[in-house]
Amino acid sequence: MKRRILSVTTAVALTAALLMTACGGGSTGSSGSGDSGAGTTTAAGGASSGGSESSGGSGEYQLTNIKVIVDGTVNSVKQETEFQRTTRDAFIPQLEAAISERIGHDITIDFEVGDHSKYSEYVGRMFVSEQYPDVMIMSAAMMRQYQDTGLLWDMSEAYANAEFQNRIQLTGIAESMKDSQGRLYGFAPTYGNGCITYIKQAWLDNCGINGDDIKTYDDFYNMLKTFTQGDPDGNGVDGDTYGFISAGLIGTEAPWTNYMAEFWQDAYPNIVQGEDGVWYDGFQTDATKAALERLKQAYYVDKVIDPDSYTAGTKQAREKWWGAEQVGSAGVFSYWAGNWYNNLITNLGKNDLDDRVYELAPIEEIKNSWGGYLNREAPVWVIIDDGDGDDSREQAIFDAFLDTMLDGDKIQTLWTYGPEGVTWSTEAEEFVTNPDDPDKRKEYSYAEGEFHMRPDLADPNTIAGKNHLDPALVVSPLTNGYVSSNDNQDISNKFFTDNCVDAPASPTSPTYSERSAEIMDARDVAISSVVVQGGDVDAAMDTYKATVGTLVDQILEELNSAE
Amino acid sequence: MSKKKKVTPEGIEVREKPLGLRIWNNRGHYLMFLPVFLFVLIICYWPMLGIRYSFMEYKAGPAAPTWTGLTHFQRMFSNTAFWDAFRNTLILSIVKLFLSTFASVVVSIFLNEMGSLFMKKSLQTIIYLPHFMSWAVVASIFTLILSPSSTGMLNGMLRDWGILGANDSNIHFLADEGLWRPIFYLINIWKETGWGTIIFLATLSGISPELYEAADIDGATRMQKMMYVTLPALSNTIITVLILNLAKVMNLFESVFVLYNPAVYSVSDVIGTYIYRQTFTVARPDYGYSTAVGLFRSLVGCILVLICNHASKKVRGRGIV
Repeated sequence: MKRRILSVTTAVALTAALLMTACGGGSTGSSGSGDSGAGTTTAAGGASSGGSESSGGSGEYQLTNIKVIVDGTVNSVKQETEFQRTTRDAFIPQLEAAISERIGHDITIDFEVGDHSKYSEYVGRMFVSEQYPDVMIMSAAMMRQYQDTGLLWDMSEAYANAEFQNRIQLTGIAESMKDSQGRLYGFAPTYGNGCITYIKQAWLDNCGINGDDIKTYDDFYNMLKTFTQGDPDGNGVDGDTYGFISAGLIGTEAPWTNYMAEFWQDAYPNIVQGEDGVWYDGFQTDATKAALERLKQAYYVDKVIDPDSYTAGTKQAREKWWGAEQVGSAGVFSYWAGNWYNNLITNLGKNDLDDRVYELAPIEEIKNSWGGYLNREAPVWVIIDDGDGDDSREQAIFDAFLDTMLDGDKIQTLWTYGPEGVTWSTEAEEFVTNPDDPDKRKEYSYAEGEFHMRPDLADPNTIAGKNHLDPALVVSPLTNGYVSSNDNQDISNKFFTDNCVDAPASPTSPTYSERSAEIMDARDVAISSVVVQGGDVDAAMDTYKATVGTLVDQILEELNSAE
Repeated sequence: MSKKKKVTPEGIEVREKPLGLRIWNNRGHYLMFLPVFLFVLIICYWPMLGIRYSFMEYKAGPAAPTWTGLTHFQRMFSNTAFWDAFRNTLILSIVKLFLSTFASVVVSIFLNEMGSLFMKKSLQTIIYLPHFMSWAVVASIFTLILSPSSTGMLNGMLRDWGILGANDSNIHFLADEGLWRPIFYLINIWKETGWGTIIFLATLSGISPELYEAADIDGATRMQKMMYVTLPALSNTIITVLILNLAKVMNLFESVFVLYNPAVYSVSDVIGTYIYRQTFTVARPDYGYSTAVGLFRSLVGCILVLICNHASKKVRGRGIV
């Protein structure tokens, strides 16, 4: 009898535990503490996140909580390190307080940060599990794939009536984001930015080359050959360096060619819209064939491009370029303008290398085709449409979160520079960077009320960088006079804006959004067979057409019939 | 209404009790079985309902999944990249399995033959270590060693040894279709051989010393003892290991993912990496297609398990499932 009671009790306890675990799992999934972004709006379901109250018609919606999903571009909400968590813990309350003050009632904001390098994957996973935030960051290409699904809220009207409209200086960005019917699904607070070709000034000097004389591809290529065959690093050994390094032969996202603009020149190896409005496959053009021949010559024949470029990621390419060991390094590196120009200089200096970096103006072949370096489509903030037919909740999110982002004052400062007292301050302050290094030691002194950036928490020898909005790229500048005095960044941003043109818009087609991987695979195989394995360009193109030609034609048909 | 009857092993015909009564009589056992039954249902069978998505268009967004019949399977079977991946999965997995098992057997026998216990234990520890390194770390190490740049370690050694001349280019090991698979096998052997020896060493330690003593009396050499005592004793374990691992050949992903690149897709792309690219490198994937490919992979895996079970019955007299 005792045995029976024991077995029954055990069985009941185990069953209960199992059921509670199962129920608990479901509960956790919907309450959203995991990394799936749960506890959020149910798109198209009419329900919104728990922290919202509707008191009736449009315009009366009182938003008390916003769930936000971001990639790695909002530095002040990252939480991987102790320093990042300290910044986050200061930033979010300050932002909540500032927005609450602006909209007249309390609001809380839940930030969730997706893996930056796999953000698209992260977003897809979240959507499939029906976990929707209120507002989130998307690349322009991603926004275009989702804009016809009913998932994103059309913010055209809200944007047109936004408080910041009278301060906007760059109106063209929003226009270029609109679909063919004039609907706007994404808010771009900054322009996209792009890559500049950087050259180590010391290497130019050692080889007797004047950067200003590099005007054409031939000039550029001769410089690469000199860097590869000569002794640009001055270690007394010829031929132990490379001319160029890149993170891949082609980018992993639009505008595809920006890491190797001098080689790709007028080619655009993706589906693209011509000036006549007709979509075509830019990979199957003579311009691409010529670019592949140039890359083959440089990579496979003359080896002026570091062969590691084929498999290198951006981190590996960067670190090899600025590494303390310059044997095997390269003289030229195309990378992002603005903040990254400053980072390149800083890291060369950290490794006790000559930190002068020359910014190469677009060579003639680029100027004559595109007009300059390509400015990628700007990342955007989108609002998830709950699909209930009532826009009051979405309008409230726009008013609280996006409209205030460019208020020109307190909130925009937080988005630009991070939390006050942590990354920046207006209080009287004195500090020293690199106090133990007489060559790099720098003293800073600020009076009460003077805006200034503070030492970086993670590296007190450097000054904290921007948070999310780049003051040089923002469409509507700060009006409070708070300006970060990072000369390098400003120089680079000005250089880029003086030498850039907008990249072509990404295609929007159901088949493309679903099956572009097949085209990219075929394209990457073709590029590899020519550039890495020294194969024939025409043969590679034939293989490409045989593999995905029909699929490309189907996509072009969709795109051109939709216009 | 006539009652069902059954015959006991003793040949007595008895009336079978109704099912409900039998369950009630054994309610304690059924109650004890209930947690396991629920666990299996919730953890193993409930997720299987996701198989239906292979017959649906299932994309991220507010629209509900819609039935599309066999569209995904038609797309899959008409895609040459899929068949390349399928072929590569089988080749890479099976060759890797046989090479790794062979290497593990050889190393196990050598370790077993070692006289010094200290050396044996030290060597065992050293060869076990790579197993505990993640594939990302292993790939980083070998990418540096095999780098085609002037700082690449192996290329530098080949140049120092005179195998590569002054006019020869560095070898791009991981982008060469002819070299990629051998390198992949070598890296796998390096990483997993040590771990694979555990089960063989356990078997070897169970061989009766009397067999070796008898062989000594018969005047057998060390090699003859290995051939006629050790290997036959290991054969059953070797077959078991091969059969069990053969059932997992379709699961190849991580080791390939960290080492492959577009230049060698034709010899390296496997179903796992193919599904990954089709799903996670597009802006708005159709998870229905990924599920269809995954379902196909599972079916092939299932068939392999049944074949293995059949082979096991033939060889060992008993199945594995």
